[in-house]
Order: sequence, then C-alpha cells, then structure tokens
Amino acid sequence: MLPETTFAAAQIGANAAHQQVVPLSITLLFAALFFGLVLCLALEEKLHAKKSVIAGLFAIICLTLGAFMELLPFGEVTLADGHHIKLPVFIPSIDWGVVTIILGASIFVDVTSKSGLFTWIAIKLTKLSKGDPLLLLVFYGAMTTVFSAVLNNVTAMIIVGSLTAVSLDKLGRNDKLLGFLLIEGLLTNVGGLLTLISSVPNIIVGTTAGIGFVDFFVKSSPYVLVVTVITIWLGARRFGIERLASEEKAEAAERVDTFDENDGIESIGFFWFGAVMLVLFIAFIAAASFDSWAIGKLGMGFVAMSFAMVMLLRYKSEAHTFYSAVDWDLIFFFAFLFVTIYVMEQALVLELIGRGFAPIIGMGEKVGGGLLLLVAAIASSVTDNIPISAMLSKILTSGNFQTPADSPLWWSVIFGANLGGNLTPIGSASTLVAVTIMHKHGLEVSFLKFVTLALPFAIVHIGLATAYVLIWLS
Amino acid sequence: MFQPSPPRFLVGIEIAVIKVDQFESVFKSAAKLNFKRQELSFQKIAVVTDLEEAEAKTLAARVRAFLQVLGDGPEWMVLDRGQSERVEQLLGLVTQEKPELLVTYRNLHSAAWRWPHSLGPRLDVLTQATRCPVMVLPHPRDVSAFDASMQHTEVVMAVTDHLVGDSRLVSYAASFTEKGGDLFLTHIEDDAIFERYIEVISKIPSINTENAREQIIKQLLKEPRDYIESCRRELKEEGLDLRIHSEVRTGHHLIEYKQLVEDHSVQLLVMNTKDEDQLAMHGLAYPLAVELRQIPLLMV
Repeated sequence: MLPETTFAAAQIGANAAHQQVVPLSITLLFAALFFGLVLCLALEEKLHAKKSVIAGLFAIICLTLGAFMELLPFGEVTLADGHHIKLPVFIPSIDWGVVTIILGASIFVDVTSKSGLFTWIAIKLTKLSKGDPLLLLVFYGAMTTVFSAVLNNVTAMIIVGSLTAVSLDKLGRNDKLLGFLLIEGLLTNVGGLLTLISSVPNIIVGTTAGIGFVDFFVKSSPYVLVVTVITIWLGARRFGIERLASEEKAEAAERVDTFDENDGIESIGFFWFGAVMLVLFIAFIAAASFDSWAIGKLGMGFVAMSFAMVMLLRYKSEAHTFYSAVDWDLIFFFAFLFVTIYVMEQALVLELIGRGFAPIIGMGEKVGGGLLLLVAAIASSVTDNIPISAMLSKILTSGNFQTPADSPLWWSVIFGANLGGNLTPIGSASTLVAVTIMHKHGLEVSFLKFVTLALPFAIVHIGLATAYVLIWLS
Repeated sequence: MFQPSPPRFLVGIEIAVIKVDQFESVFKSAAKLNFKRQELSFQKIAVVTDLEEAEAKTLAARVRAFLQVLGDGPEWMVLDRGQSERVEQLLGLVTQEKPELLVTYRNLHSAAWRWPHSLGPRLDVLTQATRCPVMVLPHPRDVSAFDASMQHTEVVMAVTDHLVGDSRLVSYAASFTEKGGDLFLTHIEDDAIFERYIEVISKIPSINTENAREQIIKQLLKEPRDYIESCRRELKEEGLDLRIHSEVRTGHHLIEYKQLVEDHSVQLLVMNTKDEDQLAMHGLAYPLAVELRQIPLLMV
C-alpha cells in the first residue's frame, strides 16, 4: 500500500495538470446528480438500500459521464519521488488516509473489546453507583461520552445501551429505560466531538483543515465536558431520575453487586495487553498528528492499521472473523462518495455550491460561522453527515475561500455535522441504535416522538455550540 | 416480551441489533445469582413411625443421635403406630404441632418397603401436603441398611438439576453437614433432554449446530460452577467449617447420582420436593427417593 502522502501528491499533480472550462449545463447536470445522491441517502430506509450501493451507483454514473464528457484528467500520475505510474483515475480520488483510519480503528476496537476491557469498565461503574439511578445516569452518561470519543459512536451506544437495559431490569427500574437510552444516544454525538478520530466528519474536516489531534482535543474538550454535564442534568430533570431513598439503598446495592466484572475476561494477560494497547493507541494517534517525525509522516491511518494488526496476533488464526465484522458498507460508501465528490470537483459543481455558500461565509466568521453551523446541523439531521462534511470541507479549501486551519468555519462544520444527529432518530447511526434498543425492550418510539423528546436537548447542544465556536474559537 | 413492530426508519440495521444482543448476553452472563445463606430453624422435630410406642421411642433416640449436628436445642416429638395409621389424623397432628422437620421412613404401615417401587401413600402425602422438610430414612426393618446409614452426616450431597439461585437447598445441606465434613454441591444436566434440543437445532439452517452445542453446554455448566463458588465464599465468610466440593456435569440423573453416592460414600442426600409446581417431586426427586433406599434423604 502506498503512503497517503504519495496519493495526495499524485492527486495534486493530476489536478494541477487539468484545468479546463466546463459549460454551465454540464455543471448543472452533475449538480442534479449530486442532489440526487444526497436525496437518496436521506431516503435510504425508504429505498431499502445500503448507502454503499447508493453511493456506488452514483459514482459509476458520474465517472462514466465524466469520462464521456472529457471532464476527468486521465493519464499518468507523478509520485513524490518523481516517478510516473499509471493508476485508474478514481483511485487517487479516494482519501486513503481516512479509509485506513476507519478500517484500522474499527478492527483495533473490535479485537480490544474481546479482551473484556470495555465491559469490565462498564460493570465497575455500575457497581460503583450502588444501583442509585441518578449516579447510574451520571456514570453511564460520562461513559457514553468517553467511549464515543475513544471507540466510535455506534460501538459506544451498543455497549452502554445494552448494559443500561440489563442493569435497569436487574434494579426493577425499567420505567427509566427510555430516559437513559435517549440521553446516552444524544451523548454519543457529543462525545463524538472530543477527538479528531471520534467521528468520520471529524476525520474528514480535521485532516482537510490540517487540525492536529492534540489541537482538536484542546479546543473541543471544554465544550464536550460542559455539554455532557448539562445534558445529564437536563435528562435527570426531564425523566425524573433521582437519588434513592435511604431505605432503598441497601437492596439496590445488593442487586448490582451480583454483577461480576471479571466474567467477560477470558485471559487476564490479554485484558492488560488490551488496556496498555488502548493507551498506546491514543498516544500514537495523537503523536501521529505531528509530521516532523517518521510516524507522523506515515500518518494516523498507518498507526490505526498497525495497532489493529498487533492486536490481531492474539487471534491470528481467526483474523477473518474480525475482517467480516468490519462495517464494509461504511468503507465502500466512503470510497464511492469520494469518487463522486472528485467528479463533482472536476465538473465545477463544488465551485457552484461554494458560490451559494459565499454569502453565508462572506458574512464573516461570527454571523457566517453561526449560519454555517446551523446549515450543517439541519442538513446532517436528515441525511448522512459524511457527504455534508466532505462537501463543505472541499468548498472551504477551494480556490474561492482557501480557509486557514485556525478559522472557526471548520469548527462550525465539525460541530454542526456531529450535533445535527441529535435532531432526529435518523440523524446519526448511534441514535438509530438507541431507538433500536428502546424498541427491543418494548418501548414504542416513533420518529415524531423521538424528535419531541430530543428537540430541547438538541437546541441546547446546537445553541451552546454556536456560542462556543463564535466566542471561544474565533 | 411484547415487541411492537419496528418503525420504518429502523429497517436495515440488523447488524446493530445482533451486536446489541451480543453485548446484552455478555452483561446478562456477568449478572450472577449469588448464594445467600438462609437462617433455618429446627425448634421442633417430629419422628413419624408405624411402630408401637416403645419401639418408636427407641427409633427416635437413634435419630436424635444421628442428627447430633442439630445440637440439643430442638424439641423432639414421636408419633407411633396409632398416631400415624390414618392419613387424616397424621396430617392433622402435623398441622397442629407445626414441626420444622419430619423424620420418617418409606412405606409406613406397609410391607412394600422390600420392593423399590414407591414411597408409600403416607410419605407421598407428607412430602406434598406439608411445608416442612421431610427426612426419609432407610426402613428400620431393613436392619443392615438402617444401622449402616444412621452413623453420621459427615458427607452430605445436595442434588438438583437447577442449582443456580437455590439458596434454600444449599442452606439445608450445609446445616446438616457435621463440622469439618464434606458438602457436595451437584448439578447434573440431563443429557437426553440436551440432545433432544440439539437435534432440533440441527434442523434449523440458521444455527450452527456444533457451535450451539459447544456454547450452550459451556454456559449451562458455567452457571452452577459460578454459583458453587459463591456458596464456597459465603459459607466461609459465615465461619462454617466445611469442605465444599463441586460436581457439575451432564449425564443421566439416576445413573450419575447413584455413582456419585457410591464414589463419595455419601451419608445424606438433600433434594428439592417443595417447589410450588411439584416439578421436583415429579421429575428428579421421586425416582431418586425410590431408588436410593440405603441412605437417608432430606426432602426440602
């Protein structure tokens, strides 16, 4: 596999060599195709089609039309060392750095979870709460935020949500399940803001803008901390989750004490290995954002894949089971989406959309940034936040804007794309999982009911994010 | 549990549903039932016989010596031939006196004790119509078996096919084990029933039969083993001087228990008969009680 910097250089070389005028009619045709893609992704469930298939179909149509209309820069690409190689035109259009981060991190987390580390932490916190519902909400809320940051939103929701269902059932508090799951679902998207690798929009926007891992964490963590506390507080009030009366405490403590945190640990050695590797993984991912050393030059994707491979040594003869557990729909969707966006770039569609955004961005960092955040949030609430963030990133780096890395506009896209998921149950995969768990336990939550319950929280999240970006980050 | 049909927007996230189920399984497995010792009282013990008064008193003295583990505290009452002849009268006395343990033997007022086919009508009624535990001794006319069995309760075995959470059974078994003695906690999964389910699973294409066999048997045996560990911890914390042994396996109930009794020279067998649905009595306990005639049985 070639390093991501090589492909970046190759892509830049190809782009630089291909400057042409595109008739407006062709740009509008491709803009209609792009709008069609976004619309189909928004109607994914109604079409009953996986998003990779939708994006794949559009990528094929765009590439074919682009080739026939002579929009694409065919020919050899020049590598960083001056060599010329022949590559299919769509290969350099895919951001392999991001693909390898997602692929490596996903395998790493999946194998690490087999060590029992995450379930151990989850059960320890459950026992620490002594079965008190309010303490349980505080611990589970904090755990959701941290797990979403370290793992990914969906895995975090699955772990914390399933434990919530089991522990509330054990405590005879099933009436509080809806409140717990809703708060956890919302916090997955808040926790997804904590680090550069916590969510796909962060990876896309952060890497495009050139925001380092540490810089990202320093800037986002105050918001994540404050909003996590506020969400838990609001949730406790809204759903009547309170401390136990003194006469109930002993029985509740006894009930949660029957959880055995060591039950899921098959090997104590692998458990500690997993814990150490997780700490090292975060440290190396952080260090990889500094490209002044060899690992930094190889990039975060290299770190993620390397750690995945080291963890797989434990399951070397059954590595294929972990490969089959990878979310290939996401990986293929991501690859096809970038191919489509690349064609859109060649057809000057992004430039056209950018012109539409120009008045918003032209309002300055404060008003423009605020509006951009709202647009990103609303768009992300009804369709996938990955194309939104990919498109806006391309627009912000385009010739018209050339947005610097320290501009708050990047953060508007990041916050909007992540928090928009809290407006509707289809806004993010993790809220969808939360509703799935609700449904599994007999709680009927319609689209409208979810919106009604989540809207006050989402307004607070987006309102605070707007204020934070405009006041703190500008 | 009732599940409403999923909203349209949830269609197509089967992978997440499977993973949620996997993690719920992990957490459910981690939520264990731990042993909690029950306080048992033996203030009054009734010895029910079909002997004349003098013989009945002699037998009661033997029983008292045999059950020295209960100490000098209990008040002993003896029901002789006249008091146990009619079932109504016997039940009336038990209801009136409210003993906390009944000690008797099979085939009261019958010569059928020679044949291992039943417990006799009076004992059937006593085990099912009363709430207190019933200790069944070898028949006194079977002199060699009776004499051999009425020595000690140093080796006690609790038998069940569902040990997990059965604090009552374990508490009784522990209470009847003499200081420094051996308490065997057993759990035998019936392999015939297990094979029947595996046969059904083998006909379902979406379930991998070998994987199901391996995982189900692993979990079935893990739970009682974990529970026995919690019994060991709790009884040690309570200061009981006992050696706890674990016997968890699959097999044919009757064959396995007969083998275990023989292998460990068990002196008292403790089993459930007082569950609400009488499932224990109709399932495991009755055939064991009929077959194992050489040692005392405690039916709780």
